[in-house]
This record gives sequence, C-alpha cells and structure tokens, in this order.
Amino acid sequence: MSTQRLGAPGDLSEREREAVEALLYQLADDEFVVADRYTDWQCQGPTLEADIAIANIAQDELGHARLWYDLLEDFGYEESELIWERDAADFRHATLCEQSFESGDWADAVVRSYCYDVAEFLQLEALAETSYPRIADRIEKVQGEEHYHREHAQNWLERLCEDDDGTRRVQQAVDDLYPYALTLFEPTAKEADIVELGLRPTSLDQLRSEWYDITGAFLAGLGVSVPEESELDDLVAEQTGRDGDHTDDWQRQYNELTYTYRMLDRTEARRLMADPDEA
Amino acid sequence: MQDHYKRYSMDIEEVKQRAGPREFGPTDDMPEEYRKAATRMIQFHANSEIMGAYIERPFIRQAPSLDRKLAVSAQVQDEIGHGQLLYRAAENLGIKTREQMLDELANGEGKFLNCFHYPLDDWYELPMIMFFVDGAAMRRQATLKRTSWEPYAHAIDKICFEEGFHIKHGESILAELASGTRRDQQRLQEAFDKWWPRILQFFGPTDDQSTHSDFSSAVGLKTMGNDALRTAFLNVYLPKAEKYGLEIPETPAVTFNDDTNRYEVEEEDLDWDEFMQIARNQYPQGVGQIDKRHRTQEAVEWVRDAIENPGAGSAAAD
Repeated sequence: MSTQRLGAPGDLSEREREAVEALLYQLADDEFVVADRYTDWQCQGPTLEADIAIANIAQDELGHARLWYDLLEDFGYEESELIWERDAADFRHATLCEQSFESGDWADAVVRSYCYDVAEFLQLEALAETSYPRIADRIEKVQGEEHYHREHAQNWLERLCEDDDGTRRVQQAVDDLYPYALTLFEPTAKEADIVELGLRPTSLDQLRSEWYDITGAFLAGLGVSVPEESELDDLVAEQTGRDGDHTDDWQRQYNELTYTYRMLDRTEARRLMADPDEA
Repeated sequence: MQDHYKRYSMDIEEVKQRAGPREFGPTDDMPEEYRKAATRMIQFHANSEIMGAYIERPFIRQAPSLDRKLAVSAQVQDEIGHGQLLYRAAENLGIKTREQMLDELANGEGKFLNCFHYPLDDWYELPMIMFFVDGAAMRRQATLKRTSWEPYAHAIDKICFEEGFHIKHGESILAELASGTRRDQQRLQEAFDKWWPRILQFFGPTDDQSTHSDFSSAVGLKTMGNDALRTAFLNVYLPKAEKYGLEIPETPAVTFNDDTNRYEVEEEDLDWDEFMQIARNQYPQGVGQIDKRHRTQEAVEWVRDAIENPGAGSAAAD
C-alpha cells in the first residue's frame, strides 16, 4: 500500500490519466444515472414524506455526480461532452442504476437504494486512501450525505418487513435486483491500473465480499434471504454496464434525458451554481 | 387568548368583527361556517401544489443541464412539501383529515387551479408555469400572509420564501430561451400565445361573479379580490413579458383604465365554458392528470397498508 501520491491533473502520465478518467466516469455515471432514476418517484411516493425524502436523496446523488464530472473537467472536457452529447454506449454506470421501476414498486426503490448505498459507502471508504489528491479532497463531503441515505433505506426495509406482504415484496425485489447489484463490483477496462496506482487501493473483489457480508446479515435479520457467496460469480447480470454494454432501459432513459438538449440544438449546458472548487 | 376555555363556538358576527391578519388559530373555537370556508380554501391551495408538481415532473428528467435538473427536482420537491404543510394547516380546522383530502384529490373530487389541468408539451412551455403562473400564484399568496387563519399564514411564509427561488429559476429558463435562436423565440411566443388566456383566467371570474368571495373576505380569509390581484399581477408581468421579447396577444384584449387605475380584460374573449368545465374537474386533459394521480396512488396503496397495519395478511392480529 505504499503507492506514490499522484500529481496535479496536468502532470499525470498517460497511463495515470486514463486510469483516473475511468474511475471518475464510473463514479460520476453511477451517481448521475441512479439519481435520475430516483426522480421517477417524485410525485409517485407512497406518502408525501417518502416523496420528499427520495427527492432529497436524488438531489444529493446529482450533487455528487457534479463533483465527479467536475474532476473530469480538469482534463479539458465540458459538461456537454461529459453528459449531453456522449453516446449512450459510452456511459460506464452499473446496470443496477438504470433499471426502470414497475409502477408502485417501492420495494425495488428501497432495496436498490440499500444495495447501492452500502456499496457506495465501502467504495468511499476505500477511496479515502486514494493516491489522487483531487479525489481525496472531495471524499469527506460525499461521505457526510451517504450516511443518511443508508439509514433511510434501512428504516424503510425494517418497516416493510414488519408486514408479511411487505416482506414478500422485499424478497422479490432482492431476487430481481441481485444480479444487477453485483454489477456494481464489475471492473472497467482500467481496473488493474486503478488498484496498482492506488487510485482505489482496495480491489472490487474485496469490496464485493465486504458488501455481501453487510447486506446479507442485515437482510437475513429481516427474514429476507440472499444467494450463497459461492454463487455470486454465476449470478452477475449479463450486461454489467462497466464496458458500455447496457440494458434496453438505459437507451430509453438516455433518449428521454437528452431529449430537450437535442430539441433545443444545444451545444453547451447551462450552469447555475458556482464551480465546486469555488463553492 | 382569553377565549381558550370558551365552550361554545364564536358566533359569526364576532368573527367578522375580530377578523384581521393571523387573528385566529387552533385554540379558538371557530364556527363551522368559518372552518369550512378555510378548509375549502387551503385544501384547494394544497391540491394545486400537488397537481402543479405533477405537470412539472417530466422536466426533471428532460432538463437540458445538470444544474437545471437539480433545480427542477428541488422545485417539484418543494411543491410536495408545500402540499404537506398546507394539508396540515387545513387538518387543524377539524373538518377533514389529510387522508380524506388526498383521497378526494385522487378521486377527482378535489379542486385545484385551472392552469394545472393542462399538461406541458415541452421545455418551451415550462416557463409559462414556472415564471408566469408561479408569479401569479406569488401575487395571490403574498396577500395571504395577512389571512385570518394563523396556521395558513404561517405556511404561506415558508411557501413564499421558496416560491421566490422557483420564479427566479423560471425567469432564468425564459431568459435563456428568449436570447436563443430565432426558432427558440418563435416557439416561446407560441407557448405564450397558448398559455396567456389561461394565465389571465388564473385569477378566476371577476369579483361580481365569484361564488365564495364575499364570506371569505368578510371573515378575513381572503384579503384581496380577484380583480385587484389580476391588476397587481399585470402591472409587474406585462412589462416582464415585453422585456423578454414576447408579444402580448391582441385577444383577449387587455387595456389599462386610467379612471379605475386597473387593467381590464375583455371577459368575452376568454373561454369561460372551458374554465367551468375545468372547475368541475371535467376537462379531458385535466381528467387525464387526475387519473394519473389516482393510478400512482393506487399503485403504492400496499405500502401504506404495510406500514399502517403491519401483520400477517388480512387476518387481525388479535
């Protein structure tokens, strides 16, 4: 673990820069796409309070996406290229993030959020040791908000599982989402360099194993079962997203979210807030 | 204060006499007529917040930049929050529970603002709601800081504060489109032409034709009439529309009367049949919006069941 601290964005070698970019795309795209999916629940939540809470979480995740995309802008990219004009197949988020919700399937929303938030918590912990200073500077801000997300998901899972029908629906959501949740731990093309260069010193296998223990124990306590750890490799969804291979849900989501930008023939994305470095 | 222990409700005359800004609250024994009138008004406002959020909702996903997406999401969230706050203020009156009011909304019995019965077609139409309609709402709400039911006035304080940000964002969208290409400007003008009559109708029929106005004004719930509100709105928003290069349509005719110091709108130029159809929740597009609300609420009914009556299936636990 005695990796060297990397330099400023402009001082990176080509190998370093490619690994940093791959990691940032993965982080930013996960946050952006899952947040956009959460917003599906705005005006559709089971209670007004639930509606407000999920909107909060979506906005936090959008804010995090903004922080990570902003670090890609260090390399000269602009928001228009990073999001609005990028090909759908160039996004690197895990396919868990893009799955559409069945109408009313709140169990999916809380199970997904739980799986995602525990994975993010572990990933951020690992990134706290990163060799890249620009990422290190932003970890604390993101970590501060993630705690509340995890608590929110856990509370909802506990409430739903006090009821038989609720437990059944949670189990169904776990069964359906598990193959996609595992894609959070699938590698991008630069994974070996990401670990070797100490960008994220912990391997994805290690993270997955920790995630499995935490989520498995919590869900078991609620009477919800998960697959055996030995089965995980075979269970991973065919499309992981990490290599640009996505499910049909993503193409639909992508078309809709870029619709106005294309309709307006935009060439740039309007900024309203201060740059994160100045905020 | 001295009325805490009063055993019988205040009579209407006393209400009218005392009526003033933030005069009455949950510790006052208000007569049923007052409580009903206040409930009707606040429930209408709460419903409008929810249904307003519904028509803006598609633009969270469709917003053309990250910051705009964040802003629209926050805005829709605020509106749901306003609904929550207002239903609570209405609930305090002891006429209806929040559940009843939400059920009425989903069942098509709850009334809400005319403008929120029309879904938005695209991004060009968004500032029609976020700037003009919200601006009109702000005019009305500002006068309600002096309403006689204190919990309502209290909710209004928070609502006006947040609404100010929404209008600013709406204006920023409007400004971006207005300074865009010629096509942007044309599409914006088309959206304005389509929405302008609806915006004029936002304030309802003229005072002499308004059904519930008299009583609400007499007991201090309403503090300004429809005509005065519309004038106050036009004073500010006509110049703003022009500033962004929008042409005010020739019909409905809007003229300023120097004698009365008021804007006058040619009432016959407005489609009051459509307005009344909307008021009865029977306008086809509005029915579509209400049905959407109904379906989404029905789809999550199981969640409310699970958390309110947790147990094994339908059998009672004890």
